[in-house]
Amino acid sequence: MSGGSLFDIVGPVMVGPSSSHTAGAVRLANLARLVADQPIAEVEFVLYNSFAQTYQGHGTDRGLIAGILGYGVNDERIRDAFPLADQQGLQYRITPFMGANNYPPNTVVFNLKLADGQTCRVVGHSIGGGKVHISKIDDHNVSLRGELPTLLIFYKDQPGMIWQVTKILAERQINIATLTCNRNQRGVDAFMIITLDSLPPAEAVEGIRHIADIYTVRCIDKLPA
Amino acid sequence: MPNFNSFTELLDYCETQHCSVSEAALRYEEAYSGKNREEILDGMRAILQQMRDTIISGIHSDEKSMSGLSGGDSQRIMAFMDNAQCFLSPIEMKMIAYGLATLEENSRMKRIVACPTAGGSGSVPAALIAVEHEKNVDPEQTLKGLIAAGVIGEITARRMFLSGSAAGCQAEVGVASGMAAGGLVEMMGGHPKQVIEAAAISMQNLMGLVCDPVAGLVEVPCVVRNGLSGVQAAAAATMALAGVQSFIPMDEVVEAMAAVGKMMHPSLKETAEGGLAQTKTAKAFTERFKAPKTVGEIVAEQKQE
Repeated sequence: MSGGSLFDIVGPVMVGPSSSHTAGAVRLANLARLVADQPIAEVEFVLYNSFAQTYQGHGTDRGLIAGILGYGVNDERIRDAFPLADQQGLQYRITPFMGANNYPPNTVVFNLKLADGQTCRVVGHSIGGGKVHISKIDDHNVSLRGELPTLLIFYKDQPGMIWQVTKILAERQINIATLTCNRNQRGVDAFMIITLDSLPPAEAVEGIRHIADIYTVRCIDKLPA
Repeated sequence: MPNFNSFTELLDYCETQHCSVSEAALRYEEAYSGKNREEILDGMRAILQQMRDTIISGIHSDEKSMSGLSGGDSQRIMAFMDNAQCFLSPIEMKMIAYGLATLEENSRMKRIVACPTAGGSGSVPAALIAVEHEKNVDPEQTLKGLIAAGVIGEITARRMFLSGSAAGCQAEVGVASGMAAGGLVEMMGGHPKQVIEAAAISMQNLMGLVCDPVAGLVEVPCVVRNGLSGVQAAAAATMALAGVQSFIPMDEVVEAMAAVGKMMHPSLKETAEGGLAQTKTAKAFTERFKAPKTVGEIVAEQKQE
């Protein structure tokens, strides 16, 4: 394995008890909130496997609620997530799923109902040491880790789309770290996931949004350390 | 560009550059992150301050965790210091109390520093801060200890995943105790070779340590392990400063630990399916405590991918 920062070892500052079951839960919910991109009226957290078995003792429930409200991993208000949710008018439900499934050990499905009535479904996994991975948004397979600013673009699968998007980034000297395209059906639609070394300015995101046959664009900044 | 793929490389660098382990570590971090020295030091100072704050908060609280499995023991140790039956000196008593306090705070959902993980978070603060308090050490010297501890963990992490689920508690409390031992030697002005000997000595005592958490929670035996590991680190650091050497070099100790981690049965790697987690008492507690089963209707209603 290659080297990392000393701060990966001495740190992070986090609210306990568990990097995977508490801090990871907060970060997953932080990402789900950014994916929703709109105030969230209601949320159901469906928990799988280890998350389902130990969520109370590990404070996974409080971590998820606090995270969806926007609190970060080291915020001591995480403990008070339940009254905070009530105060802020968030309706929540925690559903531990105890049956057999193919999900990784620490998985949560967010069933979100947004303020404007739209719904959004996000699937995420806590993979250890506080690291997280969002693998699905609605019907689309994605890969969102919150370690770098990320563009999530849903578009018509046709020639020239990647070029039009990356042209806008290149013009603004924004460096691409990774670029992945997942398509559901040739010629129908696809999802572009681009991780960047810097957060694109709002006007660049708008520019991408206005490209013909681009359906939705989400720009998700990286999570704080 | 300073980069250390092994402890041998780290020690070679310290020798040719005539510098300490913490100095080598700072140069590494400057090159790796592109940050300047003051930024890095400020970041480390903030981390050390959080460690102190967690300890102070912890020893002043007797609040039980949500599960009831922990809380109040660090206070007991601090109170016992004045007891006629107490035969340890204040520095060891504080190491025990501070290690317990950090894990107790962790269980209360308070702020801690994962160092290297939440499960092993007590060792380094317990060792370094107890010495800082009892020996009136300049906080900038404690900082060097923390930075040395950091690079010990970083090089170790290149050989094994630092998590109980990957390699047992050896990878969490075991590695933390090695970091603490090396950090203590750095703090006391020991030679770079002694820093690494201390880490090797401490870690080999925890070779094979399993991750067997009762009810899967980071409390039993995690809290007491963190209470004990600071004192172990102190003993290892003292041995190294007195000239004791590990027969097996640190790089090979780490390799051996990684290999043992792979050989370890999954029931002993944070699954709560072995060790203490499967004792009669633990099973009875787990039954009472487990998250409620969903009713049949909810299970049937779930659609999964």
